[in-house]
Amino acid sequence: MKFRLWVSAVFLATIAAISGCRKHAEAPKPDPLLSAYDTEPDWTDAQKVIPLSYQQAQGKLIFYQQCVWCHADATPAGPSNRSNLVPVPPLLNDGATLNVESDEYMQNIITLGGTAMGKSAMMPPYGRMLSGGEIRSVIAFTRAVAQPPYQPSARAGSQYSTK
Amino acid sequence: MAAEEMGKLTGRMRLIFAISSVVFLAVLAISPFKDFRREWKQYKRSYRRFAQGRPDTKKLLADYRPDIDQIWLPGMNVVDRCTTCHQGITQTSLADQAVPQPFRAHPPIPHNVRDWGCTVCHRGQGPATEVAEAHESTLAWEQPILPTRFIQASCGTCHYADLPQTPQLTRGRELLAELNCQGCHRLPGIERPVMLGPDLTNIGTKVSREWIYKWLKEPRTIVDKDGNVTVNGYETEEEPRMPKFHLTETELRGLSGYLSVQKAKAMVPYKIDARIVAAWSKNPELISQGELRFRQMFCSTCHSLAVTRAGETKLIGGEIGPELTKVGSKVNPNWLIGWLREPQGYLPHTRMPRYGWSDEDLYKVTQYIATKLTDSDLLASVPQLGQPTEQEIQFGHRLFLEKGCASCHSIEGLNPQKDFGPDLSALGGKNASELEFGAAKIPHNLVSYIQAKLQDPTSVNPAARMPQYNWNQADLDAITTALLSMKGAPPTSALQNLVVPRKEVAFRPTGAFAEVYERYKCYTCHKFNGYGGDLAPELTYEGSRAQRQWIVDFLKNPQTLRPTLVLRMPQFNMSDKDAATLADYMTMVLQHPAANPAAIDARQFTPAMAALGKQLYEVKYQCQSCHTIGGSGGYVGPNLNNAGGWLTPAWVEAWLRNPQALIPDTIEPRRNFTEDEVRALTAYLMTLRQSIKSQKTATSAGSHAAAQGAGQ
Repeated sequence: MKFRLWVSAVFLATIAAISGCRKHAEAPKPDPLLSAYDTEPDWTDAQKVIPLSYQQAQGKLIFYQQCVWCHADATPAGPSNRSNLVPVPPLLNDGATLNVESDEYMQNIITLGGTAMGKSAMMPPYGRMLSGGEIRSVIAFTRAVAQPPYQPSARAGSQYSTK
Repeated sequence: MAAEEMGKLTGRMRLIFAISSVVFLAVLAISPFKDFRREWKQYKRSYRRFAQGRPDTKKLLADYRPDIDQIWLPGMNVVDRCTTCHQGITQTSLADQAVPQPFRAHPPIPHNVRDWGCTVCHRGQGPATEVAEAHESTLAWEQPILPTRFIQASCGTCHYADLPQTPQLTRGRELLAELNCQGCHRLPGIERPVMLGPDLTNIGTKVSREWIYKWLKEPRTIVDKDGNVTVNGYETEEEPRMPKFHLTETELRGLSGYLSVQKAKAMVPYKIDARIVAAWSKNPELISQGELRFRQMFCSTCHSLAVTRAGETKLIGGEIGPELTKVGSKVNPNWLIGWLREPQGYLPHTRMPRYGWSDEDLYKVTQYIATKLTDSDLLASVPQLGQPTEQEIQFGHRLFLEKGCASCHSIEGLNPQKDFGPDLSALGGKNASELEFGAAKIPHNLVSYIQAKLQDPTSVNPAARMPQYNWNQADLDAITTALLSMKGAPPTSALQNLVVPRKEVAFRPTGAFAEVYERYKCYTCHKFNGYGGDLAPELTYEGSRAQRQWIVDFLKNPQTLRPTLVLRMPQFNMSDKDAATLADYMTMVLQHPAANPAAIDARQFTPAMAALGKQLYEVKYQCQSCHTIGGSGGYVGPNLNNAGGWLTPAWVEAWLRNPQALIPDTIEPRRNFTEDEVRALTAYLMTLRQSIKSQKTATSAGSHAAAQGAGQ
């Protein structure tokens, strides 16, 4: 009887020693808005807020300085210049038009202008004003606000998506 | 002791020994097992498995070692083991959102992770090897990871100068300056304005005791429970500058009494010519003529008024000066006349320019303000206060100092208390245990503390003297970011070297120009050499850009060049002499070395060049997408109807070669024109001329459309 008591005492002590070790805390759950560098309201639904990464946020800054005048219906200065132009430029969030264009095409038309890509000369080239990185950030912002949402085509990376 | 007993005991002991040895062995095995199961080792192994499933395994595992990785930067006091788990942080192929954390690459930023470490920006505990210890507050470490929403605070810790990449931080710093936080707190790097709140030395000559009482009780700015801000009952997005102090009835009576007797400088009322008063006072057109002048002078560029359009009442106009919807019921009419004639006589540091008034205009406009911009119910809720007693004045005087009024508002002969509020220069590096949370039910961390204190100071400290401000979420986050960036002086000289100091900007005009410049307060809206407001175009190189005669004509009768603009240059009624002084100084001094107007003679341009330029403008480059000539074209750039009468050819050529070299912020993209194209385009633009008179009719139609556009 005494012996069993001994054994169970040692056993319990072991269990206690193991369970006494601190349990690892879970990694903090990131709130998408707390972990966003900046946000942009969804153009089609003012209630929705789109979280932006650093790169997209830099694109947003450039967009609101350079592009908003012709690629949005409302501008910081009031009326948009969009209605003055023929052909009418696409809105930045026009996913139906812009989602089908590759990042390379977008990079080219912003860098070289409309004429070089067989489009309207009213789209000026920005290659001598914005850096490649700045132009890529504008494209990243375009992809973030697109409606319907932009789905990156199945290129390197996406096949390894988790679960 | 009997031998057999010994043997019996030995048998049992043996068994006990055997079992306890097994148990002890098992316990011993727990240690290596636990070591094997350590969090970081698990992440190490799972990264290896993850990398082996990718096509670029070799590259991903190039610097893989099974032990702890760290970035050690002795000069910066950085020992960051974050890369032990965040192993893909510099692998560009892992940038995709689909890559699971903690292996995803860091988004591209201007700093290299290997050179700067992680905790410099993200905070947290660098040497820790457990997820919770690295990211969260523990008993021994109270600098948790900074939420990315406030990450710009970390940029501001070293970059005292404003960065284009951190708009939230810049906005937060602007708010700290605009709301006069400097009045009570020490905030290094935040500019202390010359005038914090208005000087109250002569406030008794401006408003009544009743008005002061009402203002202190409920500043005209009201925020409802949804956070909507209304000024005088009208919705606005403007952030009110005067916060709300929660004062008792006796305190209100004391303060209003004290302030209403502040009349240090007796005002001599200006007598408007009696003949003008006689001619106009009976005229039914008087008020509408006054309103017309008010509009023509573009008071609305700085002051807003409530306007009702389509059943909706909104404040329309600028935010530089106070809104004026009910000002007629606020100020003393004699004070108003004196103020309009000579604003700097009442407030030496005001941003209000001194207009050149004729008695007739002055009479019409003041009558309009006193008749139309009023509200008979404004003071209806205020009790009759009468003359203050000596006791009330004494009490008010004490309150003025105790409540901190004197920290923002000066009164001649009154010295504010030094260091009225706490020093905030190191707030951003404080531990939660150093903060006072009171009974507030909020998470005990620095970010929650700052936000709670800003929203309602009494929530964390019932005895707080800080008044209550009204914020929207974006501004609250911006000011939190700016405060989090204040981590005090860098602890080591190596870190001191990382600081990017704020550039001091100043513009010190000289001679006759300085006097006129100061009188019209040009710098309220225009920038000169980086100094001044940003409402209107920068004038640093105006002498290279514009022709002298155009500058004179413009100053005498400002016409907008941008049809969509609602806020415009006021009509100062400037004398010929003042206009000439300003134009001479600009053409002589405000020059850019790359655009010397004397270098290019417009006569060299031939009609053939101009014809080619027109072709380039209209067809090849389609400049009309942004610029207007005649009746058609875009609104983005200035209209070019009078380019030949406005711009210098030297400026146009330099501009076409590289606009950003002249005005760095301009949005006109730099093109790749050949020299011949530059010449041809310049030749064409120099042929465009329009007389001021026809311009006037064109723009007044435009302004009407623009005002309507803004109202919608």
